[in-house]
Amino acid sequence: MKFVDEFRDGALGQKVAAQILGVVEPGRHYKVMEVCGGHTHSIYRYGVDDLLPENVELVHGPGCPVCVIPMGRVDDGIAIARRPGVIFTCFGDMLRVPGSNGTLLDAKAQGADIRMVYSPLDALRIAKAEPDREVVFFAIGFETTAPSTALTLMRARAEGVENFSCVCNHVTIVPPLRALLESPDLRLDGFIGPGHVSTVVGARPFEFIPADYGRPVVIAGFEPLDILQAIHMILAQLAERRCEVENQYARVVPYDGNPAALAAMADVFALRPHFEWRGLGFISQSALRLSDAYADLDAERRFPVPGVRVADPKACQCGEVLKGVIKPWECKVFGTACTPEHAIGTCMVSPEGACAAYYNYGRFARDRVLS
Amino acid sequence: MTDCDPREERCITCGDVGVEMRVVRVEDGLALCEAEGEQREVEVALLDAVSAGDLLLVHADVGLVKL
Repeated sequence: MKFVDEFRDGALGQKVAAQILGVVEPGRHYKVMEVCGGHTHSIYRYGVDDLLPENVELVHGPGCPVCVIPMGRVDDGIAIARRPGVIFTCFGDMLRVPGSNGTLLDAKAQGADIRMVYSPLDALRIAKAEPDREVVFFAIGFETTAPSTALTLMRARAEGVENFSCVCNHVTIVPPLRALLESPDLRLDGFIGPGHVSTVVGARPFEFIPADYGRPVVIAGFEPLDILQAIHMILAQLAERRCEVENQYARVVPYDGNPAALAAMADVFALRPHFEWRGLGFISQSALRLSDAYADLDAERRFPVPGVRVADPKACQCGEVLKGVIKPWECKVFGTACTPEHAIGTCMVSPEGACAAYYNYGRFARDRVLS
Repeated sequence: MTDCDPREERCITCGDVGVEMRVVRVEDGLALCEAEGEQREVEVALLDAVSAGDLLLVHADVGLVKL
């Protein structure tokens, strides 16, 4: 398949791995964070880390949209889903994210009308087909997904669909990166930038990382060779004492993103003053709510919600995993009490979560195959 | 395409996954697109001049980039 086969070529992978070996300084330990959960998944699916030198460590970032949803927001969703007359819609992974008293899947088993959808557009179709029911879409995701919600709300408005509303949990990528860079317990040498978020926001929003923090960023695609090449580009910048934003994924990502998507988001959303991220705590201006112009489609204004902050389970160390401070297998409950079937923490729920990626691909401890 | 079972390869909607889809036809601002034998209606309001045969990067039923 075009754009796929050529980026999975094993022989080319070995060549790039050799180039990486050529730019690392022996004795120096490098920590490179892949921001996006999609990259984490690809790294373990294809064994990209096995091709890296021992002194290049990949640290998994907070870019899995399911993993950063705090328990209190799940509780809010369940409270709406349990209301008579409501059809509650969400992406599949959200169904299994634990709240303080069970998951949306549990609520569905107890009788709530909760349906998995592939897109907000699917949820709008349900609303049009069931005009006597209130259809609520539980929106999650970074800037990749936010335009889909924005366009659907614009369409609902244009078509006069009044029984449709949205719980907006969309988050933005830059504030948590800044929070990580300010974190005293984490030293990073560079970032693999998120590929598909950047199709919307472009590369420009990441320029603060080299400018303010002196760390290189390379925006990367999701095939194994994309990721290997991005790692090489980061390490080459470090070797050459350069520090800038580079775009490895130029075949898809325009440097300035998608202006129409940004305009739709600006119309439909407004920044929340602060938002709680699982494991990272409250981060200023890091999430979106519906703008005043779309307040009538805001489910949080249409229905009462508890809005209570719930502390994460004590045994769960998702916070440290999301910050890259510990590896998933270092968590006390990894693979024992916490598995994809019975997740305690969100990082084990989504296939893009670091814990699920480690678990599903058998990375139960540091057992790298070195070439 | 997968659902969100963690044993499956990837959830196509929850994360930042883009799916390459070929446009079959465009009607009322929505494009009928096809990938791996499955067809979906895709919002193309963010892209200029989409027509049959175009290859799009699609996320959550929205075309983000024309490839």
